[in-house]
Amino acid sequence: MTRTTRTRSGINLKSNYRPDEGASETLKNDYQDNLGDPGSYPYTRGTRDNPGGGWIQRELSGEGDARRSNAQFKYLLEQGQSGVDIIGDSPTQSLMDPDHPLAKYVIGTQGVSLCCHDDYRELFDEIPIDEISISSSGPPMFTVASLYLLAKERGISPASVRGSVLQFPFYAEYCGYAYKMPFELHLRMTCDIIEFCSQEMPKFHGFLEDSYFFSEAGLNAVEEAALAFVEIRHVVRTLLNRGLDIDSFAPRIAILVNCSMDFYEEIAKIRAMRRIFARMIKEEFGAKDPRSMAVVIACHTSGLSLTTEQPANNIVRGAVQTVALGLAGIQALEISTFDEGFRTPSKEAHLVGLRTQQIVDLEANITRVQDPFGGSWFMESLTDQVEEKVLAMITDIESRGDPADLVTGGYFKQFFQGAMSRYHQNVSSGEVTKVGLNVLQVPEDEDTLLRDVSEAKFEPLLERAEQLGVFKASRDQSAVRESLLAVFKVTSSDENIMEAVISAVETGATMGEIVGVMREASGTPYDPYGHLTSPIEG
Amino acid sequence: MDQHEVAAVGIAKMLRDNGMEVIYAGCFNTPETILQAAIEEDVDVIGISSHSWEYLYYMPELMEMLQKEASPIPVVVGGSVITAKDKAALGEIGVAAVFGSGTSDAKIIGSIQKLADR
Repeated sequence: MTRTTRTRSGINLKSNYRPDEGASETLKNDYQDNLGDPGSYPYTRGTRDNPGGGWIQRELSGEGDARRSNAQFKYLLEQGQSGVDIIGDSPTQSLMDPDHPLAKYVIGTQGVSLCCHDDYRELFDEIPIDEISISSSGPPMFTVASLYLLAKERGISPASVRGSVLQFPFYAEYCGYAYKMPFELHLRMTCDIIEFCSQEMPKFHGFLEDSYFFSEAGLNAVEEAALAFVEIRHVVRTLLNRGLDIDSFAPRIAILVNCSMDFYEEIAKIRAMRRIFARMIKEEFGAKDPRSMAVVIACHTSGLSLTTEQPANNIVRGAVQTVALGLAGIQALEISTFDEGFRTPSKEAHLVGLRTQQIVDLEANITRVQDPFGGSWFMESLTDQVEEKVLAMITDIESRGDPADLVTGGYFKQFFQGAMSRYHQNVSSGEVTKVGLNVLQVPEDEDTLLRDVSEAKFEPLLERAEQLGVFKASRDQSAVRESLLAVFKVTSSDENIMEAVISAVETGATMGEIVGVMREASGTPYDPYGHLTSPIEG
Repeated sequence: MDQHEVAAVGIAKMLRDNGMEVIYAGCFNTPETILQAAIEEDVDVIGISSHSWEYLYYMPELMEMLQKEASPIPVVVGGSVITAKDKAALGEIGVAAVFGSGTSDAKIIGSIQKLADR
């Protein structure tokens, strides 16, 4: 078995690095310019100065209905997680209600089924939304709308709610949960949410750039970072074109990165991304507030890096990735659990993931020293090389035209398809070593450890469709209809949609109804799959 | 309703590189859409990739539809989530081959070629 001599993005790894390596200038002459202390511009060494501060430890959860997922939250919080993060099932992630014909067999099996405010109320029942970080990997517009309403219902100021929502206007259609809505509408929705949060929920990260999900298409670290920045830059420019001040929203931009098994390069990637972001926001976009320049970085460890063969090995992968991320100084972390090749996390796997983080933090004391790789001839050289390649790729992509045109013109679609084929090819050929999969296999009948937990299945919640029908019938129909008409109207205007969306959510309008009406206002069918008719027809 | 496409895209390309004509129908298919595409395109084999558990419910439906056709098209299913138990169940309803994680390209090509040649 040969070991690769390159990082995933192709950078050569020498056998050892010496003081006269490429980064000597950085280290000797330009410490303040290129590195800075943790918590100082350009933030290469850390977003904050927070020795021993650890990171927000959480496991991505969500399964079945809101009640079951609420129980998951409570269990994980009891076990010491310091924040929550929730993901919807496939229909929810695609903005589809559970009564849609396509949703039938997948309700609640890959995440939680959420479609109306009652669901969110149940999801966050007895969860202190003003005390812990509430992150959502679910639909951002509805997470924000419901959190806002919940805060008001509980007599909490929405301005005290902390957490984040993902935004992915560029890439969702091609490698993730397709919204099947026009790009312009998705981008507008993204910007409206960010603007709303900056005004009404200033402690909440309305823009968590999600490079995790699209890099799971087999992208390497450089491609991941470059595409993340292309998207961030376009959203920033769009917001600035609205007349917003950069410092009014940039402090609440954060990035959710991936973490593969390419240990050193993942650390270098994070360091490079912090430096690139800081310089870009200050020098190119004119920010004055240091908080605009210091980007918060969260991480979800790579599901693609896991194997279904020998599931216990995935525990090791999660631990190795956690060490890398602790060394890189991230602010929040979720481990992809050992059974995720088969299913969304079991209770057992959730606990192992959380304990992994706690052990690395409390026993190995990883964050007591911040950026321990700082000053390393190797790591500074690698950080510089990753940065150079990322900047070159951003320039290359942006030179091909308006990023919006690249989205709609198919450039990114092709990019992802190419990356997917490349990854498949690399694993099939053995160029990428996957222990248990293409090397060091164990016969199927001997590979039994943790299989019982990993392979356990549960039924989709078929009854949700009927329950939704009952709920819909119980609503004040004219109030719902009026609120949907208002959403239609505001979507056709230049106004921020959030106020109308929140009002609609409050009347009991569902996610599918609200988004469907927004699609109609944009000149596309209410239901892109052609099964449903609009409630405001005529 | 599954969007995990890496394997589907990778295998489609792999099969094309090995001389097969592949029509990739993308994500979010149902038995109806698959059947329609298969008949319209006059395919020799249907290949299904799934990372969700929907195949447990959709495959019996699809196999039933296919068995009503004059010459039922053989079906192969792939996906890392497929357990040994699932494989057996799929075999029982007439799925011609099931490819779990780690199946070699050569095996996939060989199986599909044999089915197409029938």
